[in-house]
Amino acid sequence: MIDVLAITDAGVTVDPPVVAVPSDGVSVLCTPSNGDGVDADALWRHEELLEGLMKLRPLLPVRYGTRVPDEAAAAAAVAGRGAELMARLDHVRGAVEVSVRVRTAAPAPPTTAEHSGVEYLRARTAASRAGEGVHEVLEPLARDCRLLGGAEPLRAAYLVEHDDVDAFAARVRELQGEHPELAILCTGPWPPYSFSEAAS
Amino acid sequence: MTDKVLAAPSDLSPFAEDAPRLSDALTRRINADPESVERGLAQLVLTVVELLRQLMERQALRRIDGGSLSDDQVERLGRTFMELDRRMEELREQFGLTAEDLNLDLGPLGRLL
Repeated sequence: MIDVLAITDAGVTVDPPVVAVPSDGVSVLCTPSNGDGVDADALWRHEELLEGLMKLRPLLPVRYGTRVPDEAAAAAAVAGRGAELMARLDHVRGAVEVSVRVRTAAPAPPTTAEHSGVEYLRARTAASRAGEGVHEVLEPLARDCRLLGGAEPLRAAYLVEHDDVDAFAARVRELQGEHPELAILCTGPWPPYSFSEAAS
Repeated sequence: MTDKVLAAPSDLSPFAEDAPRLSDALTRRINADPESVERGLAQLVLTVVELLRQLMERQALRRIDGGSLSDDQVERLGRTFMELDRRMEELREQFGLTAEDLNLDLGPLGRLL
């Protein structure tokens, strides 16, 4: 069995144990499956491998744990999708993913006041608008973005030009200073995990 | 891992609940014992309930913004959602789930919530 890591440009050369399987105008990057258990360390090893590959070429990461019997199966998995994948590669070329999460800095204390229902809804509305406000500032700084949903006021992935990551992070720090009521966590740069597929 | 943090609040506690979640989620992914199956079922049911709760809450917020509700109606709605939120938190705790667990990855369609 082999693990499928990512899709990249055709004709790339990679160092063992990674192999590049050509198919339909792109390369499928694979490694022999070592059968490791799934734990946080295994995820970080996978991440480091992808980041090493990403330094030299654009990548479309494949979902972690994707395993196929052999290289022929890896090639067959992308057959017929070459044009679409090449377009996605062009879309992420020179860019990285930066993750931003916004939470309220401290949970609202439970209230039993007469108008607690109104206060609750007011707090929910304020949190939701704060998340939207942060996104409105950051969206123009990115090539593309994905709102990842969830219960948090904002959980989003931004596709940022590699050279603009520092400026993006600086803007997040400014936003944190402007909004002490929020906790804004920005991480990266990551392989473009959220941009492997076209936007829905 | 810390070198992946580009910007963070001085207090990371709002994100602290995520730390045990990862290893817990990975453990559950590979252990199909009866207890984890029961928890998985609870997770699925609570995810659907959470989806409905969020949809109703968004609809309510839109109606409040539109000014089509009286103060009494807004108060009753607020109390209802607050109570729902509290009950969901209790149920999550009972099954050892976090808010982040109540979601489904729909692959190319993205995440449910």
